[in-house]
Amino acid sequence: MIKLEDVTKEYPGETIALRNADADIGKGEFVFLIGPSGSGKSTFLRLLNKQELPDTGRIFVAGKDIGKMSRRDVPKLRRNIGAVFQDFKLLSNKTVGENVSFALEVIGRPRHVISTQVPAILELVGLGEMSHKYPHQLSGGEQQRVSIARAFVNRPLILLADEPTGNLDPQTAIGIMRLLDRINKTGTTVLMATHDRGIVDTMRRRVIELADGHIVRDQSRGVYE
Amino acid sequence: MAFRLDYVAKETGRNLVRNPSLTIATVLTVAVSLTLLGAAMLIRVGVAGLNDRFRDDVEFIVWVDPDVTPEHLALIVDTLDSSANISDSRYVAREEVYAEFQQYYRESPTVLELVNPDEVPTYFEVVPIEPDLAVVQALGKEYEKLPGVFKVQYAAEYIKKLNDFTRLASRVMMIAALFSAGASTMLMYNTIRTAMYARRREIEVMRLVGATNWFIRLPFMIEGMIQGAIGAGFSVIAVLLLNRGIGKQLNKNELKLLASFDLNQSDLLSISGWLLLAGAMIGFLSAGIAVTRYLDA
Repeated sequence: MIKLEDVTKEYPGETIALRNADADIGKGEFVFLIGPSGSGKSTFLRLLNKQELPDTGRIFVAGKDIGKMSRRDVPKLRRNIGAVFQDFKLLSNKTVGENVSFALEVIGRPRHVISTQVPAILELVGLGEMSHKYPHQLSGGEQQRVSIARAFVNRPLILLADEPTGNLDPQTAIGIMRLLDRINKTGTTVLMATHDRGIVDTMRRRVIELADGHIVRDQSRGVYE
Repeated sequence: MAFRLDYVAKETGRNLVRNPSLTIATVLTVAVSLTLLGAAMLIRVGVAGLNDRFRDDVEFIVWVDPDVTPEHLALIVDTLDSSANISDSRYVAREEVYAEFQQYYRESPTVLELVNPDEVPTYFEVVPIEPDLAVVQALGKEYEKLPGVFKVQYAAEYIKKLNDFTRLASRVMMIAALFSAGASTMLMYNTIRTAMYARRREIEVMRLVGATNWFIRLPFMIEGMIQGAIGAGFSVIAVLLLNRGIGKQLNKNELKLLASFDLNQSDLLSISGWLLLAGAMIGFLSAGIAVTRYLDA
C-alpha cells in the first residue's frame, strides 16, 4: 500500500528530516512511527499525501509513484488518505455535523450521499447525539473523534495520524486508540506517529523507529523501548 | 468536477460580508478607475462623431456687414456660386439669424433687449469641396477681401482645436484610468488575500481532504468578480450622469457643433457594457492571481 525507496528530505537550513528511508507497508497494516521530536515522523507522514515533496527517492501509494503524479491528481490522492492531527484542525464556526459534511462538500459529493454518510460516521465514532454542537462545546477526546470522523467519512484507503493522542489524557487516549483500531479492522491502513510509550507497548503493532532522520528499527509487534 | 452551486453561492456571500470596509474600498476604487475610463470613452466617441459631422457639415461662415449694399451682397453670392472650390453655400437671412440669436440668449432677456432685429448681421454657410483646413483657410482669405464681408469664421479651425484638446483630455484620462485601474487591481489582490487569510484553516482542511484547487479558488474569484462588477455598476451610473450633464449643457447653449458629444443610446450601451466587462475581469483575474499565488506558496 505504501512504499518508500531511498527517500531523503532536507529542509532549508540543513535540517535533514529523512535520510535514505526505505519502508514497505502492506494493506490493512497498523504501524506506529516512533522517535523523539524532530526525528522525522511528521515529515514521513507529510510526504505520503504530498504535503511535502522528497528531495530524492521514490514514494508509492496504492501502487502509484506519487512523484510522477501531476498536480491535478494530488486531490485524488488525498481523497484516499485521511489525516488526523494533534490539534484536531476543526473549524470552530461549524458544528460537528458541518465539520464532517465539509469534507464531503468540498470534494463535490452529492447532498444525499452527505446526508446518509455523516450521521453514520458520527454514530461510528460515538458522537451520534453531538451533531449540532460546536467544537468548543466538546471535550478534547470528543473533538479528536470528530476529526477522525472527518478523516474517515470518505472511506480512505489510508489514515495518517500525527500524534492524535498528544493533547489527550491517558484515559481518553485509550478511547481514541480503540477507535483507530476499529477503523484499521475495516481494512484501512493506519500510520500513527506518536511518542506515547504506553499506547505502543499495549497495542503491540508494527513499529518503525526514527532517529535523526534514519529508520533505526522496523519491527512487527514491537514495543517502544 | 462537480461544483455545487449552493456551496459556491454560500461561500462567496460569506466572503463578501466578512470584511465590509475592505470590500467597500475595493468597490470604490474600481468605480473611480472605471469612471475615468468611461469618461475617456465618452470623449473618444464624441470626437469620432464630431469628425464625422465635420466632413459633411458647415466648413466656414462668411459674415456679412449689417449695412451691406444689395450690390455687394449680390457680388458675394456671385463669387460663392461661381467658385469651383465651393460645393454648396446657403444665405442665412436676418430673420433666421435673429431667431437663432433669441434661442441662444433666451435666458438673458437683457441681452436680447439690446439687440435691434434690423442690425443683426447675416451670414453664408459655405461648404467647400476640399475639406482640408489649409485649402479652406486660403479660400476664406479670398472672401474676406470682398466688400461687404465682415469676417470669415472657420469651423475647421475651431474643430481642429477642439479635436486636439479633447484628444489630449481623453489621453490624460486614459492614463489616469490606467493608473487607478492598477491601484484597484492591487487593492483587489489584497482584499482577496485577506479573505483567504481569514479562511486559512478552512483552506487547509479543504486541501487535506482533497478539494481541487479550482474548487477552493472559485468562490474567491467570484467574490472578486462581484466586487469588480459592483464597482463597474457605479461607474456606469457616473458615466450616464456625466453624459446627461453634457447633453443638458449642449442643449442650453445650442452648441450645434458639439452635438455629437450627446451620445446616443447604443453608444452608451456599448460603453456601459465594456465598463461592466472590465470591472468583472479586473476582479476575476486579480482574485485568480491572488488565490493561485496563495495556493502555490
